[in-house]
Formats: sequence, structure tokens, C-alpha cells
Amino acid sequence: MDLLLQLTATGLVVGSLYALCALGWGLIYGTTLHFHVAHGAVFTLAAYFAYAAQKLLGLPLAAAIAVAILAAAASGILIDLLVYQPLERRGAIRTTLFIASLGLLTLIENLLAVVFTPDPLRMEVGWLAGPVQLGPVFLTRLHLVSVATAVFGYFALMAFLKHSRWGQAIRAVSSSPDMARTVGIDLRRAHLLTYAVGSAITAPAGILIAMDVGVEPYRGTTFVLLASVAVIMGGIGSIPGAMLGALFLALLENLGVWKIPSEWQSTISFGVFLVFIVLRPRGIFGRKIQSAEI
Amino acid sequence: MRTIPSALCTLALLVVTATTGTPAIAQGNPIKIGAILPLTGSGASYGVWMKGGAEMAAEEINAAGGIAGRKLDVIYEDHAADASKAVNAMRRLVEVEKVPFSLTSYSAPTLAIQPIAAQNKVVIMNGGGQSDNLANKDYLYNNIPVVSNEVGVIADWLAKDKKLASAVLIVANDEAGRNSAKTFRERYGAAGGKVLAEEQVALDATDFRAQLAKLKARGGDLLYISSYGRNVSIIADQARELGMTIPMAGTSWVLVPETFKSKGAEGMLVTKLPYDPGSAFARKFKEKYKTDAGFFAVQYYTATKIFAKAAEEAMKKHGGALTGEGVKDAIESTRAFDTISGKLVFQANHGAVMDIEVGALKGGKVDVEKVIKAAH
Repeated sequence: MDLLLQLTATGLVVGSLYALCALGWGLIYGTTLHFHVAHGAVFTLAAYFAYAAQKLLGLPLAAAIAVAILAAAASGILIDLLVYQPLERRGAIRTTLFIASLGLLTLIENLLAVVFTPDPLRMEVGWLAGPVQLGPVFLTRLHLVSVATAVFGYFALMAFLKHSRWGQAIRAVSSSPDMARTVGIDLRRAHLLTYAVGSAITAPAGILIAMDVGVEPYRGTTFVLLASVAVIMGGIGSIPGAMLGALFLALLENLGVWKIPSEWQSTISFGVFLVFIVLRPRGIFGRKIQSAEI
Repeated sequence: MRTIPSALCTLALLVVTATTGTPAIAQGNPIKIGAILPLTGSGASYGVWMKGGAEMAAEEINAAGGIAGRKLDVIYEDHAADASKAVNAMRRLVEVEKVPFSLTSYSAPTLAIQPIAAQNKVVIMNGGGQSDNLANKDYLYNNIPVVSNEVGVIADWLAKDKKLASAVLIVANDEAGRNSAKTFRERYGAAGGKVLAEEQVALDATDFRAQLAKLKARGGDLLYISSYGRNVSIIADQARELGMTIPMAGTSWVLVPETFKSKGAEGMLVTKLPYDPGSAFARKFKEKYKTDAGFFAVQYYTATKIFAKAAEEAMKKHGGALTGEGVKDAIESTRAFDTISGKLVFQANHGAVMDIEVGALKGGKVDVEKVIKAAH
């Protein structure tokens, strides 16, 4: 029983990080239909921004994190502005955009490895590394912060999309770009805004995992893959779906270890994903996936 | 970006040598050898030591006039713990650089390049990998004991002296990790211990909490870590963080700077191969690289020196010609080499034997409790 509780808790912590990544990726995919795998690079960049701000500029941790989130948002905007928009203006199809995105992910990851070495870099987290014991469950303070950040991020994003003018514009574009255009929404601007928000909400995930186990150049690929699985499982265009999908995946990975040897972790998640998506292609809450959407 | 300055340097050098005549030290073509090491990735700390050791040896050899008057030039390649990268590096060394000899490291990469070495008659010398499968391989010499020697010693010590009757294992999912775990099961069982559970993990993973939680639930008196590199410190820290209070143990693999610095690893029970941190070598290393040397620095220093000795013999015998075959024959006929840590004798299985020390990690060093002498 203790083991089950511990695995659930660990799963929720990991799930929180998956969720932040999936919320950002899902928002961007749901709105722009860009299969933005370079989101993984933004996730990784956020960690390096935080590291650089703390270690090279000597900023306190909180300030370094704030700077990193802003810089990640700016990176998202720049990717859309300098890569996707020019491609779209020239009439590139979505597959071209996807390949460009994949290229960008590889390029950024390898550049980071050249500049910072592929070896993990440690950030100073001080007090946050301390242990917390909740009955039979052992976590660190940082883990609680991760869960809290995901919960806060989810509600903040929902509130932004529902109640702010900009959020409503994003939702309008997401549900029908043509309709949004006719009511006077500038699609390019709405896309840029989506990239900023989507990148900013994912940045904490990259930073939090880096604070826990070190800053590394190649982690983003795994995360963006899991995020896309979570979003497709949850239903494209659905924010609660992305959140649930991510938590489900992480719990599955961790609870699966309970009875199955741990080297099968990713086999379990992708196996379940395949079965799930064949049985219910539209995911938990979402619209139906169309082949043209990639 | 990188090639332009180096091309300029080469050009400048050419101009300088053209105007000043022949280079000062060694005559003739340099002797090129390879070194395929973990320069990046989870084992990068070993790479710093291995490369530093080989570099120091090459510098000393060249300062003393080279090998039979020829300069020694070591070409470093990175395998990042990946066997396929090691194979590419070995092919390049054999086909492009035409080396007669290469230093190698890690079990899986070394096993992967051994067929290429044997086929092309290039001697490879491994000072780091310890899988039992590295023994008795053509053209491969190990100036390190295979892991079963160390695992046997620690398994006995843990079960008999420390009275730790049952163990749970966390195992790196690669040649070295699995091989060490397999031997541990056999030897610990023979010494009266009982292995309750085993969890495998990826060498490049950074989160072992799920596996550790599962092992914790199984109980046991001991967590045996059959992994290496920076993994070990993360496993130790995360195990303590999950409230695992049982002793941890591992072989000399675990002795990297990350482990010495880790709070969780304090008190870890380990084997250690002979290395004197107060030696002249260690002082020189620290001065040159601004970091403490370790056992593996000496290993690659020694391996490079052994090559120089064998190459000199081979060239003497074959009228100055140097081939991998000649180096192999010279190693086989010499067998015993003087090193800075005493005499090294290659056994019939192409491996070495050494004294094995056991003790506990305390404040960044190993508190040795017992030494088990090598049987030559």
C-alpha cells in the first residue's frame, strides 16, 4: 500500500511537469495546427536561460526563473515569426512546417550541447531540495512546488482563455480561423500571442525538472513527444484534456512499475496510447483528428 | 567556425617550420595512436581522468625523445557510452589514421570494437571497462581486473563481515551493469546472502524514484548499485530522499567526483583498486588539470606507457617498422611491465590482477578497512 501511494505521488509530480508541457503544446497545436515539435527546444531553452541567469548573471533564483519564462516566451514568438510565418506566407504545407520544426529542435539541442557541453549542469536550489514526508510518502519541497505550479498554470490558463479579450481571441481562432478573421481578428497576431502564452506555460516544466535533476540539452525531445501523446489522448483543442492526458500518462508510467519491471515503462505508455487512440481517435474530450492536421 | 582558426594555426605553423627548418624534438613521422573515451555523457568524469592520464604519459614520452625517436600523437575520440559511436571512431582510427594501437574504455564499446581490432590487427588496451566478457579476446588487453574479482570480494565482505543478509539491486541496463549484477547474485548467494529484487535503469536516466520506491517496498538489508558514472550519486541521493535508510554498496566504478560530493552516498560500502592520492602523479595531475586525479587517470597513463614500451620493443625487433601485430607480440613476450603503481603482469586471459581494498565512503574519500591481496 505504501508503495502504491509513493508511486502515485511520484507519478503526480512527473505528471505535473508533463502537464505544463502538454498545456503549452496543446494550446499551440489546437490554435495554429502547427505540429510544433520545436516546443521541446523551447522547454530546454527555458532551463538553460534559468541556469545562465542564475550562474552567469548571478541573479537570485526567483528572478532567474522569471527571466527564463520571459525569454522562453520570446523564443516561441521568434520561432513563429522567423520560421513558421515566412513558410506559411510562401504556401508551405503543414508537413513542411513539421519538418522545419524538427530541424529547429535538433539544431537548438545540438547548439546547446556545443555551447554548454552535453553534460548535466546543476542549478542552486537551496531550501527547495529539502525532503518532505507525508505519511509513508517521501518527496522534496521542489516536488510540491511542481504540483502547485501545474495546478496554478492550469487554472490561470483557463481563466485567461475564458475571461480575457486576448484569450477569447485565441479561442476564436482555435475553433474557427475563418470565422475569427471575419470578425476582425488578426490571425498572425493571434498566433504570436498563442506562441508566447504556450511557451511561457511550458517554461516552468523545463526549469523545474532542471532544478531537480540538472540542465540537459536533449530532454526536450522526450517531453514534447509525451506532450503530443497527452494532447492527442486528451483530445485536440481541449485544455482539460491535455491536463488529464498528461497526468494519465505519468501515472501509468509510474504505477506500471508496481507490477511490471521498470525497463518497460515507455513500452507501457505507448502501448496503452496505441490501443486508446485506435479505439477512440478523438481522445477524451476533443474534436476528431484528421490526417491533414499534422 | 571551429575549423578556420585551426586551419590558420596550421598555416602559421607551416610557415614557421618552413623558415626555421626541421622541428626540434623528434624525427620522422609521428606515431599515431587512438583513445576512444567517454568524453561526454554520464561518464564524462571518467573521460577527464582517462584523457588527462594519457596526455600526461604522451607528454612525458615526447619530452624524453619520443618512441625510438618518433613523436607520439594521441587522437582522442568520444564514445559517450554508446557502442555504435565507438565503432565509428574505431573505423576512422583504423582506416583514416592507420593506427597500430588504441586505448579503449567501457565494456559495451570495447566489445563492439574488438572484432574490428582483431580483423585489422590493431591492438586495443582497455583500462576502464570491467565486464567478464572482455577477457580472452584477440588483440584486446585489459590493464584492469574484470569485475567479477571485485564483485566477489565485496559480496563476501558484505555477507560475511558486515552480516548484511539480503540485498536489493539497482542495475544499469548495459553490458557492464548486467554483468556485474549477474556476478553479484552468484557470489553473494554463495556467501549466504539473498537477493530479493532487481530493477534495471537506463544509464542516461536522471530519475530513479519509481524503481527505488519499488525496491524500498521489498525491504532488504542492503542496496547494491550495479551502475557507474554520475548515475550513482543521483541514485544515492534519490534513495535517501525516498526514506531508504539501508546501507548502499558498489564496486570501484562508483568512485567518481559526483559520488564523492553526494550527501546520499556518505557511508557507501565500496571496493577500491590501488590508487594513492598523495603520489607524485596525483600532484602533477592536479597542478595540470586543476582537479583531483583518480584511479582511472593512472590506468590510462599506465596503458599509454605500456604501449610506448611495447612499440619500442617491436620496432627494435622489426628494423624500425611498427605494426599492431608487432605490438601484440611485444606485449605477449614481455608480459610484466613496470608501472607507477608497481608491477603489472598480463594474465593468460589478457587481463590484469590487482589488490582490492574494501571500505566505506567518508567525507569525500574511502576509509579502507581491509585489503585483499592479488593472487598472481
